[in-house]
Amino acid sequence: MPIGVCMDELVRKAEELARRYGISYYEIRVTKVTASHLTMQNSHLEELALNTEIGIGVRAFNGAWGFSSANDMSRAEKAIETAMKIAKLSKGNSRIYTGDPVKDRAEIKVEKSFLDVDIEDKLSLVKEVDSLLKGDSISNRKVFYGDGLKEQFYFNSLGSEIETVVPRVRLGFSVTAKGNGEMQQYWKIFGGTAGWELVEGIDFPRWAEVAKEKAVALLHARSPPSGEFDVVMDPELTGVFIHEALGHAVEADAVKNGDSILAGRLGEKIAVESLTVVDDPTLPGRFGSYVYDDEGIMARRVEIIRDGVLVNYLNDRETSALLGLEPNGHGRAQGYNYQPLVRMSNTYVEPGDWSFDEMVAEVKRGLYMIGDKGGEVDTANGTFTFGAKEGYIIENGEIKEQVRDVALSGSILDVLKNIRAVGDDLKVDFPGYCGKGQWVPVDDGGPHVLTRALVGGLL
Amino acid sequence: MIDELISILERQNVDWEVYWEKGRGGSFKIERERLERSQRKFHSGIGLRIGCRGKLGFSYITGLAHDRETLENFVKRTIKLAKISEVPFRGFPTGGRPKQVRGLYDKTIDEIPFEDAHALAEDFAARMAELRGEGVTLSGSLALGVGTSGVANSNGVFLEERSTGMSVSAHAVMGEGRTGTGSYYQSYRSLQPFEELESAITRAIEEAKLSGAAGKLGGYSGELVLEPEAFGAILGILLENLYGDSVYFGRSRFSRPGEPVASEGLTVMDDPLIGGLPGSYSFDGEGTPGKRTVLIEDGVLKSFLLDHTYASFLGMENTGNAVRDFRTVPHIGTSNVVVEPGKESLEDFEGIVIKKVFGEHTANPISGDFSLTVGLGYVVKNGELRPFRDNMLVGNVFEVLRSILGVGRETVRRGSFISPRVLAVGKIV
Repeated sequence: MPIGVCMDELVRKAEELARRYGISYYEIRVTKVTASHLTMQNSHLEELALNTEIGIGVRAFNGAWGFSSANDMSRAEKAIETAMKIAKLSKGNSRIYTGDPVKDRAEIKVEKSFLDVDIEDKLSLVKEVDSLLKGDSISNRKVFYGDGLKEQFYFNSLGSEIETVVPRVRLGFSVTAKGNGEMQQYWKIFGGTAGWELVEGIDFPRWAEVAKEKAVALLHARSPPSGEFDVVMDPELTGVFIHEALGHAVEADAVKNGDSILAGRLGEKIAVESLTVVDDPTLPGRFGSYVYDDEGIMARRVEIIRDGVLVNYLNDRETSALLGLEPNGHGRAQGYNYQPLVRMSNTYVEPGDWSFDEMVAEVKRGLYMIGDKGGEVDTANGTFTFGAKEGYIIENGEIKEQVRDVALSGSILDVLKNIRAVGDDLKVDFPGYCGKGQWVPVDDGGPHVLTRALVGGLL
Repeated sequence: MIDELISILERQNVDWEVYWEKGRGGSFKIERERLERSQRKFHSGIGLRIGCRGKLGFSYITGLAHDRETLENFVKRTIKLAKISEVPFRGFPTGGRPKQVRGLYDKTIDEIPFEDAHALAEDFAARMAELRGEGVTLSGSLALGVGTSGVANSNGVFLEERSTGMSVSAHAVMGEGRTGTGSYYQSYRSLQPFEELESAITRAIEEAKLSGAAGKLGGYSGELVLEPEAFGAILGILLENLYGDSVYFGRSRFSRPGEPVASEGLTVMDDPLIGGLPGSYSFDGEGTPGKRTVLIEDGVLKSFLLDHTYASFLGMENTGNAVRDFRTVPHIGTSNVVVEPGKESLEDFEGIVIKKVFGEHTANPISGDFSLTVGLGYVVKNGELRPFRDNMLVGNVFEVLRSILGVGRETVRRGSFISPRVLAVGKIV
């Protein structure tokens, strides 16, 4: 990774400073990101950016963490010294998992690097998608494309030296339809840890038609009814559901801070027997995938719930030591200038044996809800909200008229036990970003799932 | 170094704009009443926009210490991007003389030694341990920062402003029996006395106690009072329709000012000129002097939020709302959003009060539909509070704003949002 500083020199300097300040553990990330980004609305290019950024983030541990970062590599040594001085000042009494040193180089390989694609070709792609979105009643077309290659050198005081190369690409579009005295939107997003081949594999004409048809149809849809209903969730909604209803509450920092309703419940049956939930950063090509986390721990597949029983938390160096758990590589940072926090990667519900038709037939009066509009959770109280892009009324086992977007809500401990059916059709391909003071790329999904939730409809 | 960059740019036959930043900050994270994470970060960088043959190019570099060759390559690269970019260029602002807003810089914050800030965080943590009480777990954060930002362009604008900031948060969890959570957040421009930190702790604990005692309410439809935080969440859904780019690109409910959007009692402003507030600035990210903009006056939409580019596209007056950092081109944002106080005394209101909601990003700004989870609310009867939570507050933002029956007299500030209580018609499920 050519960044204008000698890594061996930096490693030596860190050792020397650690001796001077009496620091027992430290870890340093030097990161280079090469990124391009384009956005277009109504055939009007809004942004075309090509940038490379290099920076350093340093953490030093002395029973509590000291951290410093710099985006100017001439300040690299200063950042190391600052983090160590802070740690020395801190004198906490926490412990961390250290483990054995790791020397490795790991690259997520692609078929065709987006760095080899001219910016002109990326612009042509954006224009082509924009033109596919044109149509009657469409008042706004928005297209975005973004890619970034993250090259990182991680080293720590144990002697670990890990070089990783992770490419990520994400693109999507939205349309806004106007008519019938209403305005409505629909959108579709693609992405993964992949190269330009991901873009080449997308059937844009088909997805453009889907988005336009949905947005226009929603102009004539009513809001769903309000109250508690049986809800069949599609794989995308299942994804945001499980991310909010379970994922955040099993992040071990929430558990540590008394901020999770699932604290102290390992080994307890918290869901129906048919539910198994996994967080897996090793899934090939998914947007939330990585090889090593930002604490130099190898990423691992984690079964969170197995057959209804809570079996593990997602953890980092600190929480694995505190809770006596095997480290599973979920310490992630937004960038070199952020400290790692416990985060999800690709979170999904394992498939069961119900077909979609069987599931719908179960519902006397309920809703079939589709798509992800984000969500939020209060992990301590266990209340969560998640949004669907659209849906349909189900009456006596039959799908009826379309309804608008809506948010749904539930209580973690109730809703996981109210799951009545888990479908056989797994899909994990809904790339997004998760916010927790820092943004990190994640994916989620699952099969169709039937549960019960509070629907915030207007009728 | 900025001067050197400008001298390189002046020799090119292009329009240019340089935006620079330099700053540092210390922040402290408290977990379980112990100071667990302390950090000190430095940042600096330059964003460069070049207008060339009607097209705009942008790129940035981190750091402010660069040799001439690096700067020349930076300029060359950005000019090249302008030539291929196809982003329409509408010129840069010609500026004007901004009036300096008072109270944006506090020397005490700038000069506080890191060790003293660290000691303040230790005291904050220790006070949490003293105040927490049985069955309560506290966490929180404290941050102090100082920064300088500047903008110069080929129209002769050259402005620089130094500012400081402080933020405090506390989060309380009641763990015994039924759980409850409470939180408090506030930001400032100047160093606050320790009482302000203590007050954050006690407010979080009080809220957690109410939350712990809260049950779910039966359904309700009718008059209710929205506390400033809850009203801010709902007003925010409307504000997304007022961004100039949304209007220009057909992604807003509105195409021109003049439409009634709320009851007569509601007046909302965007005001970067209020002294000492977190959202204040003397000039925006393009060097346009900050100014007070009335967005809604007595229920009527008066203005959109605009930067130079979208004001030009829409043929409207620039409101000076370009927000940015050096890594990005300017985008439109709010400064301080102020809901003007009304005449009602809503402090003693008896009935349903919504204090906090969450999930507002799942709302639909263009249809106006929202369904938000109630984090905390209470029913007030004969002066007594019965808290509730976990219901959903549902409605349509355009209908709720038109249903406003009264606006309170006393305002509360949370960060850069200032509002009184608002009485409106709503539905809870």
